[in-house]
Amino acid sequence: MPHATRPSTNESNFVLSALRENLRLDSRALDQYRPISLQFPSDPDVYGQTDVRIGKTRVICNVSCEVITPYPDRKFDGVFTISCELSPLMGAGVEVGRPDQTEALLSRILDKSIRRSNALDTESLCIIAGQKCFHVRADLHVLDDDGGILDACCLALVAALQHFRRPDYEVHGEQVTVFDPMEREPVKLTLQHQPFCVTTSYYDGGTIMVLDATILEEQCREGEIVVSMNRHGEVCQIAKYGGVPVDALSILSVVKQSWEKVKMMDAVVREALSKDERERDKGGRMKAELSAENERVMERPVG
Amino acid sequence: MPLDTSTYGLAHLRLDGRRWNELRRIHGQISTQAAADGSAYFEQGNTKLLCTVTGPQEPKRGGGSSRDQSNEAKVEVEINVAAFSGMDRKKRTRGDKRVQEMQYTIASAFQSTIFTHLYPHSTITLNLHVLSQDGSLLACALNAATLALIDAGVPMSDYVSACTVASAPSSDQSLDEQDPLLDLNGLEEQELPFLTVGTSGEEGKVLVLIMETRVQVGRLEAMVSVGLDGCRQIRGILDGMVREHGKQVLESRMS
Repeated sequence: MPHATRPSTNESNFVLSALRENLRLDSRALDQYRPISLQFPSDPDVYGQTDVRIGKTRVICNVSCEVITPYPDRKFDGVFTISCELSPLMGAGVEVGRPDQTEALLSRILDKSIRRSNALDTESLCIIAGQKCFHVRADLHVLDDDGGILDACCLALVAALQHFRRPDYEVHGEQVTVFDPMEREPVKLTLQHQPFCVTTSYYDGGTIMVLDATILEEQCREGEIVVSMNRHGEVCQIAKYGGVPVDALSILSVVKQSWEKVKMMDAVVREALSKDERERDKGGRMKAELSAENERVMERPVG
Repeated sequence: MPLDTSTYGLAHLRLDGRRWNELRRIHGQISTQAAADGSAYFEQGNTKLLCTVTGPQEPKRGGGSSRDQSNEAKVEVEINVAAFSGMDRKKRTRGDKRVQEMQYTIASAFQSTIFTHLYPHSTITLNLHVLSQDGSLLACALNAATLALIDAGVPMSDYVSACTVASAPSSDQSLDEQDPLLDLNGLEEQELPFLTVGTSGEEGKVLVLIMETRVQVGRLEAMVSVGLDGCRQIRGILDGMVREHGKQVLESRMS
């Protein structure tokens, strides 16, 4: 953990003894997530930005794209990169520029869940094979860390990818015209499936399993299991990096439990996306022309 | 060269002639480097690793006030993948995230197995050299590290044994008839979704579980149980190697 402050013995004993009695400090059930809120920018021209909050944990994701030459050994594929930077904003003990182990693991797990599982179809990003393709870049910034940054990052990333629109283009022989969003409506990305990450922390030799741990619960835990799945029941990745050994049956039940939570997260994202679409749909680009209202300038009257 | 999965259904033999639940040839030597506190050379099929252990010793960066005051030893792992180890000569960059993740996995696995409370404020360093890669790299690394730590005399709660399991190749057969494949080689790892499972202890509790490929949730149970069985077999083999080595050491002392 990058956080320099470890919990005191009293605090960790208190958390553990409360968990043994099935109690959590914020009165949640052991398998209950904190309230998840998902926000998209209100500006109708901006696509692919999300602001996710799980309890107090806050993550912002921005998806952008540009046209580049594809890699020579992958002529038919576009490029998709995920960059996740942890900043001192999220908590004490994180330094800018110095790559931390948490950051490396975070980006590895996100990479495995989303890139390696082919959630984004890179072949659809190809414009002309071997010459031009789209490079979709996702940047994640963790603004506040109260536990569960991995779950929040994955949620933000998947929501932003579904929200993003890439510019439309036309190919005439060797000539490619990439249209500005003002000229032609931009196009959605093709996502084959939507993976979500669920982190389960365990205590007491693997007998107590807790979902969505807060930062205090994370610092007291004996280990964690990260499961990434989509709502169809395909497990994209499982990561249990050491920690206290756990019974195999517990791991399988963790996977089943994660599936339920993934379905819940998927429903949250869908609802937020459809609400955003409905709001943007009011007139679209002609919004300014269709309205008879004058623009009200909110200035303080003189005198 | 694509995996010729079409012939699997005919005789249920894999490309190297193994059945679904057979491990590759495992060979190990303990105490290969005289200079290190503990060392081991481990082969699983064509995956060959050399592991050396130094420690417990003083931490290299002489304890400043900012160091966290843990009363436990710290396990540090460094993996060096030789450029000639794979099919093509490829020099690994320093900040290779995949290698970093493997280092973290191994360090984390042994952090909870070694009795670290016996050596406060010290570091145990594991150095792994990959000489040849042919699948199951993480699993072999864990096995090699176990042997080296035992040679170094570092007290642990039990052997850490690991192996890989793949979801069976897709065919027209129904879900129940397909057997997960145990101990994959390099080609099988590239083609099939697989997981690496590491266990510790007689009861076979799962210490490490890494899966990077997409698998239907229904197949997981079979894969994990086959993996645990494989780990049990490997634990027996590691135990045999250690006892054999111990016998040799005793005999050389007697004479």
